[in-house]
Amino acid sequence: MLPFLKIMVRNLLQGPSTDPFPFAPAKTPARFRGAAVHDSEKCILCGICRHVCAAGAIQLRAAEDGSGMQFMLWHNSCVYCGMCAHYCPTGALTMSDNWHLSHLGEDKYTFSEDSFVPFGECAQCGARIQPRPNVIVEKLGGRAPDQFLLCPKCKRESLVKHASDTNLSQFREKQ
Amino acid sequence: MSETYTLPIGPLHVALEEPMYFDIKVEGETVQGVELAAGHVHRGMEALAMHRNYFQNITLTERVCSLCSNSHPATFCMAVENLAGIEVPMRAQYLRVIADEVKRIASHLFNVGIMAHLTGFDSLFMHAMEVRELMQDAKEGVYGNRMNLGQCTIGGTRTDIDADIARFLRGQLEALKPQLAELYGVFERDPLIRTRTRGIGLLSEQEAKLHAVVGPVARASGVAYDLRRKAPYAAYDELRFEVQSDTAGDVHSRALLRLREAVESISIVEQCLDQMPEGPVKSEGFVAVPAGESVARTEAPRGELIYYLRSDGSDTPQRLKWRVPTYMNWEALQVMMAGCQVADIPLIVNSIDPCISCTER
Repeated sequence: MLPFLKIMVRNLLQGPSTDPFPFAPAKTPARFRGAAVHDSEKCILCGICRHVCAAGAIQLRAAEDGSGMQFMLWHNSCVYCGMCAHYCPTGALTMSDNWHLSHLGEDKYTFSEDSFVPFGECAQCGARIQPRPNVIVEKLGGRAPDQFLLCPKCKRESLVKHASDTNLSQFREKQ
Repeated sequence: MSETYTLPIGPLHVALEEPMYFDIKVEGETVQGVELAAGHVHRGMEALAMHRNYFQNITLTERVCSLCSNSHPATFCMAVENLAGIEVPMRAQYLRVIADEVKRIASHLFNVGIMAHLTGFDSLFMHAMEVRELMQDAKEGVYGNRMNLGQCTIGGTRTDIDADIARFLRGQLEALKPQLAELYGVFERDPLIRTRTRGIGLLSEQEAKLHAVVGPVARASGVAYDLRRKAPYAAYDELRFEVQSDTAGDVHSRALLRLREAVESISIVEQCLDQMPEGPVKSEGFVAVPAGESVARTEAPRGELIYYLRSDGSDTPQRLKWRVPTYMNWEALQVMMAGCQVADIPLIVNSIDPCISCTER
């Protein structure tokens, strides 16, 4: 006998196995890679997201007054690979489970993750540095929090000073 | 009256909705000779790869083809790791195998489903696709996408499988097992499938070796060549599995072989979930890729996949080249199609599981 008949009758009795989507919510797993979400509170403007983005969907634009950077992620260009979220050192970028991404053609330049990240200030000389939000200082700068908040110039000077102080104290100990 | 004429098929249609052009010499209803013309969807991906850095290339190679979308980045990452001397943690090796095998099951089920569709048995096609849906849901739940898993990264994997996810994956596999066994029975015994697919598209062992075919096409013709056994990569040398082979070498045997491989794949994934050691899933930090050349090979669902990488020490490859299994298989179509009926052409083309998007890239 036809071996498929049994399966066919069973499938007919079971009814449709597709999601009744527009009439009921579709099941979305927690790990689903939907639209990327940017948290400007955690961003340190390191640019790794832009570096790994294969689609070129991420742009970092300097503000005209020099007060910070505009972070832009075009959902329209994004391929939802999640590389930016994977390599983001601070967890500022995450992939949400939002897959409702249809939009009008006229909205394609505004359909983006758009946030302003202000620059930080050097704790010593007040020079403009990459942002150093508190959440990140605890996470990344825990080993040397003082140096983490310095501009490259002050950091260099503090390192030299630290090294010479250490040398001096060692020299004194020998004497 | 015997008259030979040329029947153009393509560039669109044939088995899959992918473009390939066949000039078929026909006498009556019988095929006398086949000329293939490829190159209709050339996307210039090898050239693109030279303009993108290694991280961007992971995503790029993943988009070469949707059904082998884990094999490509995995092989690319292996080539980079070989060159840079990156040690991949053991847990990551197992996770890579899991991703590979889940994709293999889905890919093989897709192919046998299409075969049912081409024989005109659409309810079986729908059923095969519904069975495959179990794996699609597994991919979505574990990796976050139904096709492009995004699992491999240079030096390891991106997502880990914790206890909850492992339980979910095991559940999907358990649900798949009886369905797959039932499906195998249908494909093995159904009179319609048997009449349409047995004894057509024959490829003898000798011809298979002559054309150097790879993957299920080679194995169905008696060449038990499986890279997972011949040159084990990732964690395959620690896993028990049987290399499936057959001697019939026709369309039917290739479909059954794919289903048997899917059953083996389930057992491989389960072994991985059991044996997987604890530990990190990726090597720490970024490693610069030195100048030099490297090659990596893996067994994609369609056969042996080779990546060649040449680096000049910068963060973009100087040359990235890959050879895909379909490239070896489609020349053998000339042997398989000789003497077949015109109506069998799509079935024979589908039986090599051609991936035009991989081959043309």
